[in-house]
Amino acid sequence: MSELEKLKSELNSLGKEYAKIKTLPEAERKDFGIKLNQKKEDLLQKIKQAEAAEASKDIEPIDITAPAASNQPIPHFEKGSKHPLMVEIDRVCDIYSRMGFNVIEARTIDDEFNMFEALNFPEGHPARDGYDTFRTAEGFIPPAHTSTMQHRALKKYKKDLENGGQIAVVIPGRVYRNEDVDATHEHTFYQCEGIFVSKDATMGQMLGVLKNFFETYYEQELNIRTQPGYFPFTEPSLEFMIEKPKSLGGKGDGWLEMLGCGMIHPNVLKIAGIDPTKYKGFAWGGGIDRLVMLRYGLTDVRYFESGKLDFLKEF
Amino acid sequence: MKISLNEIKKLVTIPKNISTDDLIKLIGARLVEVEEAIDLAPKYEKSYIVKVAECEPIPGTHLHLCQIDTGSKKVQVVCGAPNVRKGMLAVWLAPGAIVPQTYGEENFKLGTRKLQGYESNGMLAGLDELDLGDDHSGIVELDPSMDFPGTTRNIQPGDSFAEAFDLNDIILDIENKSLTHRPDTFGLIGFAREVAGILGIAFKEPDILNAPDISRWQVTDISPKVKIEDSKICPRYSCAIFNVGEKKRKITTLIPQDVFLAKAGMRAVSPIVDLTNKIMLYTGQPLHAFDYDKFIVAGKTKTPEIVVRKAKKGEKIQLLDGKIIECIPDDILITSNNIPVALAGAMGGLNTAIDENTRHIIIESATFSLYNLRKTQMAHGIFSEAITRFTKGLPAEQTMIALNIAANKLGIDPIAAADAYPDKQPQPTISVTVREINSLLGTDYKTSDIIKTLSNVGILECQKTNLTFQIPYWRTDLHIKEDIIEEVGRLKGYDNIPKTLPTRLFIGATEDSMLKLKKQIRDILSDNLGAHEILTYTFVNKKLQQIVGEDPKDSYEIINSISPDLQVLRQSLIPSLLEKVYLNQKAGYKDFTLYEMNQITKKSLGLTTDRVPEVEQHLALATTHDYYYAKAILENLAQLLYINLGLKKFQSGPAYFEPLHSAEITLGEKTIGYLGEIRVSVQNSLKLPLTAAFEINLANLLGAGHQAVASHLSKYPSSERDLTLKVPSDTAYQSLQNAITSTLDQQENLIYTIAPASIYQKEPDTKNISFKLSFASTKKTLESAEISAIMEEVIKSTAAFHASVV
Repeated sequence: MSELEKLKSELNSLGKEYAKIKTLPEAERKDFGIKLNQKKEDLLQKIKQAEAAEASKDIEPIDITAPAASNQPIPHFEKGSKHPLMVEIDRVCDIYSRMGFNVIEARTIDDEFNMFEALNFPEGHPARDGYDTFRTAEGFIPPAHTSTMQHRALKKYKKDLENGGQIAVVIPGRVYRNEDVDATHEHTFYQCEGIFVSKDATMGQMLGVLKNFFETYYEQELNIRTQPGYFPFTEPSLEFMIEKPKSLGGKGDGWLEMLGCGMIHPNVLKIAGIDPTKYKGFAWGGGIDRLVMLRYGLTDVRYFESGKLDFLKEF
Repeated sequence: MKISLNEIKKLVTIPKNISTDDLIKLIGARLVEVEEAIDLAPKYEKSYIVKVAECEPIPGTHLHLCQIDTGSKKVQVVCGAPNVRKGMLAVWLAPGAIVPQTYGEENFKLGTRKLQGYESNGMLAGLDELDLGDDHSGIVELDPSMDFPGTTRNIQPGDSFAEAFDLNDIILDIENKSLTHRPDTFGLIGFAREVAGILGIAFKEPDILNAPDISRWQVTDISPKVKIEDSKICPRYSCAIFNVGEKKRKITTLIPQDVFLAKAGMRAVSPIVDLTNKIMLYTGQPLHAFDYDKFIVAGKTKTPEIVVRKAKKGEKIQLLDGKIIECIPDDILITSNNIPVALAGAMGGLNTAIDENTRHIIIESATFSLYNLRKTQMAHGIFSEAITRFTKGLPAEQTMIALNIAANKLGIDPIAAADAYPDKQPQPTISVTVREINSLLGTDYKTSDIIKTLSNVGILECQKTNLTFQIPYWRTDLHIKEDIIEEVGRLKGYDNIPKTLPTRLFIGATEDSMLKLKKQIRDILSDNLGAHEILTYTFVNKKLQQIVGEDPKDSYEIINSISPDLQVLRQSLIPSLLEKVYLNQKAGYKDFTLYEMNQITKKSLGLTTDRVPEVEQHLALATTHDYYYAKAILENLAQLLYINLGLKKFQSGPAYFEPLHSAEITLGEKTIGYLGEIRVSVQNSLKLPLTAAFEINLANLLGAGHQAVASHLSKYPSSERDLTLKVPSDTAYQSLQNAITSTLDQQENLIYTIAPASIYQKEPDTKNISFKLSFASTKKTLESAEISAIMEEVIKSTAAFHASVV
């Protein structure tokens, strides 16, 4: 009898043991049951392992140090492809980097504090609902925007301010919203956050920096437009739009919404230990997916996380 | 939110030089995003007020043959509505008109057609066909005593229906989200105030806001007692009792107020409810009407005893819509002597609903904690116009104003009123300097300009010595000087702010070492090694984890996921890649390589110092080839990164690797990842072809690269030699090569390369390993004999392997 067969017959015989429960005094039944269940669990686990071993029984050892299997050609490679979102993030960060911004990456899981509290969202405030956050059993949050990194970045670079410098940082990252997926909605997407703090930052500078970025990005001069917005972590808050660039078929009439931005709320600076009476700052955040969709004329956001070679080979 | 531009124009005189388009653009640029401006004019084109002159039943049918008076001529229409009768005023959609209900969708165009053998021109329309209500019990009837707007005459046949009912209008569909902090803009008056402000003109507050105060009114001994248990959940509760007598109206009679409500996306319900809704649409303050007599009965009291309190756990109330809900402890209840009669802010109770027999009403005008109401909204899924406004945080100062308007509009004095306002707060003032304003915005606005801009919207200067503003009651969003600065910037137009660039110190920006490494890896794998980069979800199904032998208990679990595929955060990347290998080979691809770089987390990694889960940056790659192919990719990658990676026997590691065909990837002594073929049982379960993969924790590679040294350069020619050794089949390739290289390393002035050429096995016990070697000296041209001598040394060094030269 093979190991697997033995285990299986042992599992079968458990049935008889279960039957014994009835014969036991009331007080012992629970304990007996727990032990028996544990035994069954262990057996099932062992059977699973034995089955896996059974499936691998014809596997012969190989020389793990060899360049190829015997009688097989030595591997050679052709060209692959890069994910367009990653390429775009590199490109975006590269431009900001040349403008003097440090680049750090957002983390994939965060907490209520960084998602809301550090960003001046009062507890229980309806503005928190707008983000449709995922939550773990422990209360952790896969971030719904890259702004979760603002507090960390402010703290990390605070010493630059104290040394007479500025905080200039951009933060690309993966973000999540608990919503159904369709051609224009994804629960997983990418954003890039930007932060600038100095003694004399102004809204005029913010608009100048963003205009300059998009002009570099689209390699042409662009008109910009804004719309009042509302984010608890900026005051004033704006939505930022650019004229549709020529490379995207723009004829000087259409507008593209690019990102949300604003002057960092004094409370956000305060929470990070930066004196808002001495320093001012601005921050912005926008989606990367949309930039890529516009650039390549993609109409279905679902391609990005599809892992389909049909899609990847286009790049 | 839907805003009628005509209503705004009634409250603000728009300068002649501002076109409608300009106005909409300006609203978009300085107040709120206008998602759509819906022009109603074409929707109601060719709709006329007509009189039914003749009306005869068509025998054997439910239809009537009507001759209608269109003002200029008589037209024949066949009408199926039961309420059509001679002499009534109705709405006629002429041939060529599009039925408004279908406008913008199937655009059903009316014509002249035969019905039961009779010619019928256009149609007499019902409320639903006009898209102004849901009723389809009959055609709309109009009141002949109704005034035609802007004239002293009554409406008459031939009048444009759209003109008579103010439907030549543009409806702005507003994106509410950016007004979350602005409850005032959820009333037409507040919205209009903003429109005046962005046009730079002073808003004239409408007289109705100063309707006579009824808060102390009492003409009888009925005095409603109001008790608020906690002013935090209900800062103010005002109410008044009215004897409204019998208020009846025919449901099919259309009055202008119905159209006013319809344009805001609401429906006419009953005269009292419609009035309270109308006041809400103007002021932003929701009102609720109770049936007074039912209220008294519910509480078993002689006079109303209103108690506002939090719900008890498990307490139940049947709402107006008939549903019985179980309250959550955050719900606020309006009670009659402690018997629940309304779920505050959300919906009235069925036990006090007004109906056709209602003669006395209590109108409630109150404010509640937006935090509680938000939870109420979520718990019970109630998203009414009223609760939408309450959850923006309405100003307590407004409740009596709205109630006074209600009394004024009802045109009767209340029987009694009450106003509980336990914790009245003084209106704040905010001081700010002109320098602060200009230095945050980057502008150069003059003091007088700033004062005028703010006073246009009722934010008035209250101290001359320094710039201090009295915050009006409706601006619950203004607390700090930055709020005032925002108002100045916004009302003056952000787009008018001069754009500059910050001056910066010429300090090189630092590049994040992990991002840099990932970019290098991406370049190498995609450009040189034929791999395709993919991105897959951070969340995976537990079932996948079980198949590959990961312990779901070590994963952080998502508790509010919308899909079973998003159950847990993944612990490694390979399982996600395997799913995509399956998908692509099913799509017809055979030889391919996928990779992903992303973060993973699991409970066993622990928490960081700031108490969030530790994450790792991983690179994973999967290829539809054997172990050696994946190994070749890994080695090429390591070489191009100038990192010396090693491999050692697979002792323990992820269960999805086939142990005998896998290795641990080492850097120095440390295992930093795994390389191998996927376990056969896993390949079977996931329906995979032969697949090999590796996964590395990238943090280990940071700083591990060594400096490239140009040590293989010689000005003397190099010579090549092939070497084939027959060795026992269990000989490890690397150990053989190591033996050769250590021998060659001892040779003086020698530059060499060694590369595998082939491994050939014909017999079970032995195999032939072929190397390509090349030699050059740094000092001279090597003679053939010298090379042969080196080869002799090489062969000698392999003796320990029982190797023989082939």
